[in-house]
Amino acid sequence: MINFSKVSLIYPNSQRTIIEDVSFEVNEGEFVLLMGHTGAGKSSVLRLINGLVPHHTGGILSGSISVAGRSTSVLKPGELADVVGIVGQNPANTFVSEIVEDEIAFSLETLGIAPDVMRKRVEEVLDLLALTPLRRRNISELSGGEQQRVAIAAALVTNPKLLLLDEPTSALDPIAAEEVLSILHRLVHDLGLTVVLSEHRLERVIQFVDRIILINGDGSLVLGTAEEVMRSSSIAPPLVELARALNMPTIPLSVREFRKLAPKIELAQKTAVVASDSSGEVLLSIRNLSAAYQDSQRTYALSKVDLDIRAGEVVALMGRNGAGKTTLLKCAVGLAPIIEGRVQVSGNDPAQLKGPELIRNVGYVPQEPTDLLYGQSIVEECNQADRDNNVDEGSTLSIYKSLMQIPNLSSHPRDVSEGQRLGLALSIILSAQPPLIVLDEPTRGLDYQAKKTLVQILKRIAGKEGRAVLISTHDVELVAEVADRVLFLADGELIAEGSTAQVLNASPAFAPQVAKALPHTNWITVNEAERHLDAQK
Amino acid sequence: MKTAHAQSSGFHPLFWWVWAVLSSVVVLIMDKSQISLAAIAGTLTLAARFKGSSYWRTSFKWILRLALIAFTFRMLIGFLIGVPMPGTVIFTLPQIQLPDFLVGIRLGGQVTEQRLQATFNEATLLAALILIFALANSLSNPHSLLKVLPRRFYGIGLASVIATSVAPQAARSITRVRIAKRLRGQSGAGLKSWRRVAMPVLEDSLERSIDLAASLESRGYGYFPETTRYRAPIWQLRDSLGLSGPAYLLASFLLLSSISSLLFAALFFFLMLTPAVAK
Repeated sequence: MINFSKVSLIYPNSQRTIIEDVSFEVNEGEFVLLMGHTGAGKSSVLRLINGLVPHHTGGILSGSISVAGRSTSVLKPGELADVVGIVGQNPANTFVSEIVEDEIAFSLETLGIAPDVMRKRVEEVLDLLALTPLRRRNISELSGGEQQRVAIAAALVTNPKLLLLDEPTSALDPIAAEEVLSILHRLVHDLGLTVVLSEHRLERVIQFVDRIILINGDGSLVLGTAEEVMRSSSIAPPLVELARALNMPTIPLSVREFRKLAPKIELAQKTAVVASDSSGEVLLSIRNLSAAYQDSQRTYALSKVDLDIRAGEVVALMGRNGAGKTTLLKCAVGLAPIIEGRVQVSGNDPAQLKGPELIRNVGYVPQEPTDLLYGQSIVEECNQADRDNNVDEGSTLSIYKSLMQIPNLSSHPRDVSEGQRLGLALSIILSAQPPLIVLDEPTRGLDYQAKKTLVQILKRIAGKEGRAVLISTHDVELVAEVADRVLFLADGELIAEGSTAQVLNASPAFAPQVAKALPHTNWITVNEAERHLDAQK
Repeated sequence: MKTAHAQSSGFHPLFWWVWAVLSSVVVLIMDKSQISLAAIAGTLTLAARFKGSSYWRTSFKWILRLALIAFTFRMLIGFLIGVPMPGTVIFTLPQIQLPDFLVGIRLGGQVTEQRLQATFNEATLLAALILIFALANSLSNPHSLLKVLPRRFYGIGLASVIATSVAPQAARSITRVRIAKRLRGQSGAGLKSWRRVAMPVLEDSLERSIDLAASLESRGYGYFPETTRYRAPIWQLRDSLGLSGPAYLLASFLLLSSISSLLFAALFFFLMLTPAVAK
């Protein structure tokens, strides 16, 4: 289906070759995962397949690529539209129509499919992706997961032979991600569709894929079955790390396989779940809060929420897409309209805090860290933050340096990796020394390494520095690693609250892999499992 | 269940553009401040009537500010620079002597009632035209033009979409940057900070446009000679009804030109509002 023969790609003005002299083949009906560190070139390889690179983006390409027997060096992406469907990283930017149904039909209209055939295809694909109830809804009002499904539907409706997806589950909650992936799995099995997708959260996809292409970042890549690659890869999901820790001969790819293969772990008793300590000073107090969506006249996003966040703890806010997590975080910085109730940060109403007063009480890192950045270079951003917060010159930069390996100071914030951008936004916020830090979905687009760094940073902020951290996230593995306490929102209401192990283990969909693999232990992270196993020896 | 059509402002994708052209032609050929003021009042009323949550709706309030700036600027220029105009002097500004080859042009000097009248006329006309097109721009989904323009020409479709999305996207980016400034604890909003706003706004627009172009390209837009329609936007009765007001005005102006301009302005205000009734 896809044939790369001696392909090299380099972007102009760049020192690094993305791939060099690479040859591989993907067969019809295969489900292939593209993985690699952030910035390794996953998106580039994906877009090479349908010719968007280099036809649309520029870049110097040598070698030949053919898709379904057609050469991409001769044909432009548009001429491959009938055999290749692609779903970009940010579907919201790529929608053409207002209404779900029209957006799906648009792909068929450009191909000139007859209207009666079109009707049938649209109906089929609406059913396939469970979009029928949403067909006449306005796309801009849909949740991230629903938008992702619309984008997949619009790519699938043309009956392509090959579907390319760039991080399709990064914005989705665990349940929605599972839905999307099982739909893809079904399409591969039932219709013989070939799927290539890139993804950071391996724990979600690895059980579904046949083969993995690992992009090393030095121009080479490794292609093998999922098990082969997982045996030695430096990037691995918790389940694989757990299997490695247990010295298992075969590497399991799903929880089910793990349970079949794993050695028996005898425990005298379950590890006790430690209740979170509630001694710190209350930094965020929310009482009887009801709030509306910022940009919609829909009903309440939050209703009658009560919570306290104390100094020194990391609290994770979880729940499905559209449960009101972002609205709650926005209320904490006074950005969302409050209908009823009261929000106080260190005793002040955040909506009343002006200018530097706000950031001295609470720092907010939005979903897209870029939303906080608007300078032309890293150093400009840092200097601006020093001036805004009235701190010594260079303070922000030294915070940034203490957090992580920082990129070239003159690079544009848009050009650095997701992890570095998040670090920059966080440093800007931290330079004002707010006692409370709020992060909205910080791990989107982060690889495992960047996530580890983030976990260390957050633990330090809460532990040594004694601040309170509130994060909203879909990433259960992150929550398992970093959170002391979990709050669970559903449909705007707070439905569960407790220590991380308690809350996560109580919900099958939100349980981390270690908890699913070893349900009798109450362990939630690989570290914890290793610690206990070592202690037993 | 709402119909798909009713979800947008309820009209054909080209409706507001036709409405804008008709209204602006009337404003232009009448060239009277009463008419322009009526047009401004009309657009403001319609903007209030068709409020919505989509991101492109928010551009109107920004262009409203722009129109206000344009108006003020035009008035100032009118006071300061121009060809001397005889008439009743209201007040006199200090005049700067210009070299001989710029004969007939003055800087400062007497401001006459006639001059004030003429400047006010032009400034309101300018503001009215800006607002009429800003309203059309903010009430139609910028992407909907793709549906009605000829499909064979990839470039035309893409260019028109990018052109009509500039204002709405800029409005969205301005909101984003303002929130960022608040979250970073900045309070000033001087000229210097406006320069800092412009860059990210341009970058945002560029990024969105590139994403959209990539999406159109990989979906084969403009590559296949025969295109078909799933549900073509139909010019409906309500579209014609909505346009009947400004169209009637244009016709009546061409037929009878001796109507008093105050009466015409009142008429204009109400007839501009026909879209509100037709919906």
